[in-house]
Amino acid sequence: MRKFFPVEELARDERFNKITMRDRMGDPRTALNVSNDAPAKRPTNLRLTPDRSDASDGARSLMHGIFVGEIQALEGAGRTCWDFETGTEAPFALKLDMARQCWDEARHVEISVKLSDWMGGEIGQYAENTVLFEAACSTDPVLRLAGVNRALEGLAIDVFTTMKEFGDLAGDPYLEFCEDWMLADEVTHVKMGSDWLRKITEHDPDRRKKALEFQSVVDKLFSYGGTRSESQESPIGLARRFRELAGFTDDEVDDIAQLSMQALNERKSAVAQARADQMRDAAAQFATSAAAE
Amino acid sequence: MTVSVTPATFSYVAFDAELIRSIAAGLLAALGMADHDVTIDVDETTPLARISCTIDESIHVHVDSGAFEDTRKPRQQSETATATALGRVLLRARDRLVGGFGEAPPDKELSLAQVAAWETYCIGRLQRFGVPVNQQRWRYNFRNRHGFSDATDAAFEQIWTSDGLTWDQLNAISESAAASAHA
Repeated sequence: MRKFFPVEELARDERFNKITMRDRMGDPRTALNVSNDAPAKRPTNLRLTPDRSDASDGARSLMHGIFVGEIQALEGAGRTCWDFETGTEAPFALKLDMARQCWDEARHVEISVKLSDWMGGEIGQYAENTVLFEAACSTDPVLRLAGVNRALEGLAIDVFTTMKEFGDLAGDPYLEFCEDWMLADEVTHVKMGSDWLRKITEHDPDRRKKALEFQSVVDKLFSYGGTRSESQESPIGLARRFRELAGFTDDEVDDIAQLSMQALNERKSAVAQARADQMRDAAAQFATSAAAE
Repeated sequence: MTVSVTPATFSYVAFDAELIRSIAAGLLAALGMADHDVTIDVDETTPLARISCTIDESIHVHVDSGAFEDTRKPRQQSETATATALGRVLLRARDRLVGGFGEAPPDKELSLAQVAAWETYCIGRLQRFGVPVNQQRWRYNFRNRHGFSDATDAAFEQIWTSDGLTWDQLNAISESAAASAHA
C-alpha cells in the first residue's frame, strides 16, 4: 500500500464535488458587512444561532462540513498509522492513539450522516473542501499532529460547541446530544496531539517551534474569511473552556483568537479594497463614455 | 407579463440572467400569475441565501446569490434552487394579492415561526407543481421554529398538504403547534 497519499486522489463517489482552499479563496463574495450597509441588507451578526433567519440552512451546511471533515480526519489519522515506521519515526503508543482516533472518526461519520438526514441534508449536497486532509500530508509526524490534532481537531471543538449550543437553543434533542458526545471525543483527540507534541519534541526545541508555526498557519487557514473567531461576525465561536480541557494554555488560546481576528480583518480589508477598485473602474468607465458623447 | 433581471451579466458568480428570467416566466404561467410584471434584483456580492419581495404595480424580488446557487459547485447556478427560491416568494406574493392573506403582517413584521409556516405552505404547493423538493429540509425548519414535538409534526403535515388556507387559518395552526410544543 502506498505511503503519503496525495489529496487529489482521495477516493470519493460521484455524489461528492471536491474543492480546494484556492477555489474557496477565489470566491470574491462575502457575507461580511464591510461598507456599513444597513443590517437588513447585510447583517452584522453572523453567529450561527437559531434566531438567524437562515438558521436551518446554515446549520445543515455546517453539518455537511462536519461530515466531510470527519471523513478527512479518519483518512488523516489512518495515514499517520501507516505512513511512518514504528519506533524509528513514530512510537507504537502514538500509532495506537491514532488507531483509536480512526475508530472515533468512523463513528462520527456515521453520526453525521444520520444527523444530516435528520436535518434534511443529503450526502454530497455541498462542496467538500479538502483543506483538512491537506493539513494531514506533512512528512513529519509531529507537524501532522500539530496540523491535524491541534489545529483541525481544535476547530472541531469550536464547531461542535457552536452546534451543541444551536441544538440546545432550538430544542433539538438529537443534535444537542450527538454534538455533546462527539465534542468529548474531539477534546480527547486534541489532548493526544498536545501530549505527543510535547513528549516527542521534549529535547528538540527547533522541531517543536516548527510544529507550532505549522499549526499557526493551519489555524489561520481554518479561520479564513472570519469563519471562526470571537467576533459575532463569525458563524463559529472560539470554545475557550473546552480548548483548556484539551490541553491548550491560555496563551495558546489567546494566540488563536488573535490569528482568527486577523484573518477576519484581512478578509474585510480585501473585500473593501476590491469594492473600491470596482467603484473606481466604474467611475473611470463612466467618465470615458461621457467624454466620448 | 414582463420579467426583468438585474444584473444582466454577472461578474462574481456564473449565473445566467436569461435562465433566471425563463424560470420566473414559467413559474408565473404555472401559478396563474401571467398578468403580473416582475423585477428580479440579484445581489451577487453576498453568498447568503435570503430572498424577499415587495409588491406595488409590479412584483419586485430581491435575492442574495446563495439562493440560486448550486451548493455542490460554488458560484454556479442551480435551476432547482432558482425555481424553489422564486417559486416560494412568488407564491407568497400570490397569497397576498388574491389568496385571503390580506390580514397578514408585512414581511418584515412576520415572526420566524410565521415565516416557517408560510414557507411550508408555499413549498408543499410548489412540490405539487412538480418542483423537486426535499420535504425533510422544510420539516426541520418548521420544527426549529415551532419546537420538536408530535404536535409540531402534525401541524407541518396539515400545512404541507393544504391548498386553500387563509392567513388566519395558517397562523392559527402555527400558533397552536408552538403552544403545544412549549406546553
